[in-house]
Amino acid sequence: MRKITLPLLAAGVSVTLTACLDTQQQDARVTINKNPYPSSYQPLAQQQILIKNATVLTGTGEKLDNTDVLLQDGKIAQLGKSISASGAMEIDGAGKWLTPGIIDVHSHLGVYPSPSVGSHQDGNEMTSPNTSEVWAEHSVWPQDPGFEAARAGGVTTLQILPGSANLFGGRGVTLRNVPSVTMQGMKFPDAPYGLKMACGENPKRVYGERKELPSTRMGNMAGYRAAWAKATEYKRAWDKYERDYAAGKNPVAPERDLTLDTLKGVLDGEILIHNHCYKAEEMAMMIDLGKEFNYHSGTFHHAIEAYKIAQPLAENGNCAAMWPDWWGFKMEAYDMVQENVAIVDAAKNSCAIVHSDSDSTIQRLNQEAGKILYRAKESGFALTEADAVGWITLNPAKSLGISDKTGSVEIGKNADVVLWNGNPFSVYAQAEQVFVDGAKVYDRVDEKYQAKSDFLLGQK
Amino acid sequence: MRLLKTPLSRVALFLSAGIGAATLAIGSVSAAPLAITHAKVHTVTGQGVLTDATVIIEDGKILAINPQALPADLAADSIIDARGKTLTPGFINSFNQLGLVEVSAVGESQDSREKKADIIFDPSLAFNPRSSLIPYSRKGGITRNLVAPGGGESIFKGQAFAVDLSGEFDSVLKSGLGVYVVLGGKSKGSRAFDLQTLWHKLEDRQKALAKQEAKKDDKSKKDDNGDKEPKRDELILDALLSGEQPLFVKADRASDLLQLIKLKQAFKLDLVLVGAADAALVAKQLADAKVPVVINALRNLPESFDAMHTSLTSPARLVAAGVKVVLNTGGDTHNLYQLRFTAGNAVANGLSPEQALASITANAADVFHLDAGRIAVGQAADLVLWSGDPLELSTRVEKMWIAGEEVDTNSRQDALRERYLSKSTAPKAYVK
Repeated sequence: MRKITLPLLAAGVSVTLTACLDTQQQDARVTINKNPYPSSYQPLAQQQILIKNATVLTGTGEKLDNTDVLLQDGKIAQLGKSISASGAMEIDGAGKWLTPGIIDVHSHLGVYPSPSVGSHQDGNEMTSPNTSEVWAEHSVWPQDPGFEAARAGGVTTLQILPGSANLFGGRGVTLRNVPSVTMQGMKFPDAPYGLKMACGENPKRVYGERKELPSTRMGNMAGYRAAWAKATEYKRAWDKYERDYAAGKNPVAPERDLTLDTLKGVLDGEILIHNHCYKAEEMAMMIDLGKEFNYHSGTFHHAIEAYKIAQPLAENGNCAAMWPDWWGFKMEAYDMVQENVAIVDAAKNSCAIVHSDSDSTIQRLNQEAGKILYRAKESGFALTEADAVGWITLNPAKSLGISDKTGSVEIGKNADVVLWNGNPFSVYAQAEQVFVDGAKVYDRVDEKYQAKSDFLLGQK
Repeated sequence: MRLLKTPLSRVALFLSAGIGAATLAIGSVSAAPLAITHAKVHTVTGQGVLTDATVIIEDGKILAINPQALPADLAADSIIDARGKTLTPGFINSFNQLGLVEVSAVGESQDSREKKADIIFDPSLAFNPRSSLIPYSRKGGITRNLVAPGGGESIFKGQAFAVDLSGEFDSVLKSGLGVYVVLGGKSKGSRAFDLQTLWHKLEDRQKALAKQEAKKDDKSKKDDNGDKEPKRDELILDALLSGEQPLFVKADRASDLLQLIKLKQAFKLDLVLVGAADAALVAKQLADAKVPVVINALRNLPESFDAMHTSLTSPARLVAAGVKVVLNTGGDTHNLYQLRFTAGNAVANGLSPEQALASITANAADVFHLDAGRIAVGQAADLVLWSGDPLELSTRVEKMWIAGEEVDTNSRQDALRERYLSKSTAPKAYVK
């Protein structure tokens, strides 16, 4: 069997010609390139770095005092006491705290960048309630100065999502927070795509004002169901094509549909759901919707009322990404409690996340988690810093499908770490040094490691 | 507020949760004296920080600090042992819509904006002391707030007003406290036109007043014109020109701030700049012209071409240059409780803790002409007792008083949390 792959750019499809001599004559097999804009990310200059005597929050629920961490070849190579490594650059971590790099599952950096001018509003394709065909990565402006500000706050990985105007907003992309001229240069290698969905007020307001479906919450549900029904047919058609082709027949490939490609990716388990959804009753329906169409309902974002359904969320394996205290801007954000994250976290097998959805609070996700930690402790929760750090590291990594690579300080994981000037859950905490894949990408005192966007260069 | 029918049920709810016993004495009136003893007291006056200090409150005011002896009529249960705790003046936030908005996207619960609003617009008439945002805001130790009008199409957004956060129906302290103007870049039109509008309005009124004065002096020319009643907007302009009312101007770009300094000097205004993203670029000019600025210390992105140099270090740089700085939380009314965290972040970025505290107490009181912001004999007893460093995330309000009356921090959010943490097997709706 000899395979020749020819990219057919006009159709966005690659065709594999298969010389098949035994059974009937087959046309070229039609396959869909699932990674047409591949990551070109390369770690920055890596060093062998030994951080000595730091207080380490692993992200897995442990706090290790006076601990050394060796970063080597982009990985966390050693973790323990009295580690020595000849040739390693040593950093005195005494009095400092080390955490995994912070991960934000909900950011619009690059698609709603600074300055916030009309020409930069690239995050919401508000032209149809289902725009599963749009990909946030195609809107990312890598020069958004917000990436630098987030890096100074210890953010090493972030998911850029489309906005929430539509029932299906499009694909999200997970990025490494490193300076790059291209989006591909930031793209997290092998991270799954996300699909942004939205419940509630936004879609029904945007389309209701145009007298289109959805104008109600029941219209929202009808919109999702119609789309998933169609996607189910699309998947069935492609599966049949694949099956028939494999059986030596010469089937006609289904017509390519970019919208349904994304939904099919969800049904195939390759694309993860990220669902803007505030209210308890709506999240419960979205869980059932997933069961109705055989996909997992994924992570609920904003999830103001997750505390009302903490148990079912945990039982169904849903992550909930929440703020500590944003509220009151819409009816669906009225029932905020500051302990939301802690209540969700308390359920067995839960996945509680603190997210930002903000170019400002993304710079202080440690403080956002801190506010929850202390308010929850006042309300009787037995939580510690070691627990709270998981809300901004390992749990978001799970939500994004990258927890095998990053999100915790464990041997063999990517060396994504932040060295803080003290307890990161203090209002005075500052990230002093930030590493992505073992390469220093930020240093608070060394200007050499403080990147500056093209946009800000030369501005007087 | 249906969940919290009476203060009593609030107490019961809190006790059943086994927490917050410190907030028991709700609404106790302090006509009788009250003593807070053994506290670390941040006076925000020349007295600085007092350790192991005693503060006596009576009739809503601070009666004494570190007296020789406690008042003879002091009841035993009116002595609060504040050992290990910190007492500060109540914090003052500003330029938000507290009491004018319940849910931002619900138009009917939003009273800060009015298309036709102009310089005479007085939104204090719509202030709702029973808004659920008020008890929640007290969680940040906020005792007073300057509410700004959202206004309409005019650059004159209307009249700012001051409130206390008691939640009582008499909590508007002063309406018509100052005129709020918004300037800067516009998607359609020129900022120059707006600056001219502001300048001309003041200039025209000043000339008219001078003419009237001249007529008064020249008795031969006296006619009925001289006795004309000034219009409502003219009275407000008169208050600006006489310095009775401050002029609050929201602007960001450094060149706009310099234009406004010229305006202040030409008309001898009590000018306060709000927002002032790029103020640090002209810090010396602001200090020389004695123009205070109200800024959000967390603003640090180049969010527009008017705000290219805003930085987390701006508060520290402005203070170092001699500018009087007031910190606020920007426009987010629902989370104005976060003022102390904003100040904490300013400290993390170079501001001294003393200056940070002053920027949310004494400086705000001075700039907004409020009798508050300091712990000094004779001052209104707006006080907050903290479990520790008031700017730190881990610290909470233990007790607080507004004009000598104790208030609590229990909000609708606490009731929701307790309901959903309840072990009751009944449907949650029965847990009240």
